[in-house]
Amino acid sequence: MTGAIPSIALVGNPNAGKSSLFNALTGARQKIANYPGVTVERKAGHASFADGRPISLIDLPGTYSLTPASLDEAVTRDVVLGRQEGEKRPDALIVVLDAANLDNHLCFALELLALGLPTVVALNMLDLAERDGLTLDPERLSRELGVPVVPTVAVRKRGLVELLSAIDGAIQSHQPREAVAAPRNDVSLHQRARAIARVATVDETPVRRWTQRVDRIVLHPVGGLVILLVLMFVMFQAVYAWAGPPADALEGLVGTMQQWVVATLPENFLRDLIVEGLLAGVGAVVVFLPQILILFLFILLLEASGYMTRAAFLMDGLMARVGLSGRGFIPLLSSFACAVPGIMATRAIPDEKDRLTTILIAPLMTCSARLPVYALIIAAFIPDRLVGGTPVGLQGLVLFGLYLSGIVGALVVAFVLRRTIAKGSAAGFMMEMPRYQMPQWRDIALGLWQRAWIFLRRAGTIIAMTTVVLWLLLSFPKAPEGQSQVEYSVAGRIASGLEVIVKPIGFNHDIALALIPAMAAREVAVSAMATANAIDADGDEDAMAQSLGERLQGKWSLATALAFLAWFVFAPQCISTIAITRRETNGWKWPMFMVGYLFLLAYAAAGTTYWTAVAFGLG
Amino acid sequence: MIALLDKAPLGVAVRISRIDWGAMSQDEGRRLREFGLMEGCEITPRHRGSIFSRDPLALTVGRMQVIIRAKQAAAIEIEPIAA
Repeated sequence: MTGAIPSIALVGNPNAGKSSLFNALTGARQKIANYPGVTVERKAGHASFADGRPISLIDLPGTYSLTPASLDEAVTRDVVLGRQEGEKRPDALIVVLDAANLDNHLCFALELLALGLPTVVALNMLDLAERDGLTLDPERLSRELGVPVVPTVAVRKRGLVELLSAIDGAIQSHQPREAVAAPRNDVSLHQRARAIARVATVDETPVRRWTQRVDRIVLHPVGGLVILLVLMFVMFQAVYAWAGPPADALEGLVGTMQQWVVATLPENFLRDLIVEGLLAGVGAVVVFLPQILILFLFILLLEASGYMTRAAFLMDGLMARVGLSGRGFIPLLSSFACAVPGIMATRAIPDEKDRLTTILIAPLMTCSARLPVYALIIAAFIPDRLVGGTPVGLQGLVLFGLYLSGIVGALVVAFVLRRTIAKGSAAGFMMEMPRYQMPQWRDIALGLWQRAWIFLRRAGTIIAMTTVVLWLLLSFPKAPEGQSQVEYSVAGRIASGLEVIVKPIGFNHDIALALIPAMAAREVAVSAMATANAIDADGDEDAMAQSLGERLQGKWSLATALAFLAWFVFAPQCISTIAITRRETNGWKWPMFMVGYLFLLAYAAAGTTYWTAVAFGLG
Repeated sequence: MIALLDKAPLGVAVRISRIDWGAMSQDEGRRLREFGLMEGCEITPRHRGSIFSRDPLALTVGRMQVIIRAKQAAAIEIEPIAA
């Protein structure tokens, strides 16, 4: 070997426990980026051999064979064949097998072994296989395959040292040889795989009884749906109920920082910029970090436990009615956290039209960036009480209703699109259903940490920048004595122009002002209002002491607040989503279409809400 | 009488006797084979989708559980496993 750091790729079937193994090997030393040209996530990390020599590891998307059915599977093939642009061919492979599913996973392993790279097989999740009544003989398997086989239990960090030393040995002793012709993934390959699995299996009892027992309840045609609905309802209630104390603490922290800056710096332009622009704006968004983390916690738990595929199974029938497939359920549910990873996850949908429709409706799923807006308005205008003697909170119920409107809207839009511009044959739905697993706190914590970091980095960049620009636009030109600064400023005048358009749907000057910078990201609407209010309250002790919600309460009618909520169910105000749609659909046509139809819907929804509310006397 | 998988009773193991590969796209056919669904293998239909349409079908193949749509299941002929 030369002095270069060897790069090792983890490959295997979906659900082989590859990511857990990758997390166990690299710990937090990971870097998530995209492959150049394609938007498939590239997960890379570092580890070292027992003697301290460093190695680099990459975690490739799970696939069933080297013949790809989707974009991310194509990346796996291209990387192991050394064809992926910007990625050198790995020096060695770790083929990850689910010990409890050998006869299927060995097919892909045989294909990979034929490539002729130094290879070690990780016989993963051996503990679960044993719980399932399987006794395996790793040495026999190793003899059959002709490469080292190392039993691993990634979640307990068992077998990691042995795995690394085996891969070291495989690289050192590797004799370069011609790759044999790749075996076709067909009947004969399956027969070979099954034959090998049979001889490597010492003892076997009937399959997965535990998972089947749970599935009988969870996949029940009626009961299963009820469980799914209850789970989602609990999730959205929890976002509210648990986030209170940490959010208050963060808010207090921002307030303390503002006071500290006011006390420390002399009164000048810079101090105003920091206190009214940066701290008020960024602070107003950062307080929603707890809610976003709780939402992600649920999504990560559902995914890691294996429940997500069950949800897709249950929803497939409904989604087929509107021309989609259960495959789309996972990207759409991820879109509740953020449409950007959601739209990226649509790459697993093989059918083009199905995929396009899923991309176009993904922004209708209530993403976490809308939470700050919803949370602010709901807290200010919806009374915090229980609904008629039940333990259900009214605020949580309204939030649930907003999420539900997005979902119903998405289904209707999909139905129309699949019969008009995205017409095509009914999409297929083929998926493996993983067995249930205990989510591992380490994997969940790592996932949460990565999300938190992405959110904070966004707050530190896009949101900080737009708020500062907005603050400047709001602060100049200086209003003469007796006139409102916000009204007199450049931003105020632009907003007055926009107000003409949005007045019919009940929007006031505050909202018109917030809508423009919110094009960058929805949560900026909140920071924009915070900044405008901070400037408005300049010097007024009483006004400064009020929270943003309290200030809005005094200025908006309930009808306006409700219309504002309805607007954000649909409005496509997020530059990142538009950009990712452009990249994923290779052009401006579809993102433009998406923005257009969503703004129309937003306007109609806000208008209908406002006029209805006014008719009921809430104006 | 040819029995097709989409009408098969749940919970009863059957053997695949023939698959009409022409009734599905190449990709769908390949994915079926990757799941291990091919002539001669034994499967057990387990669950049908929710009340919305009872469509997707979950079945066990070996130690794996997979989901397919009724449309593909209708292209799969099955026979009882001789006792």
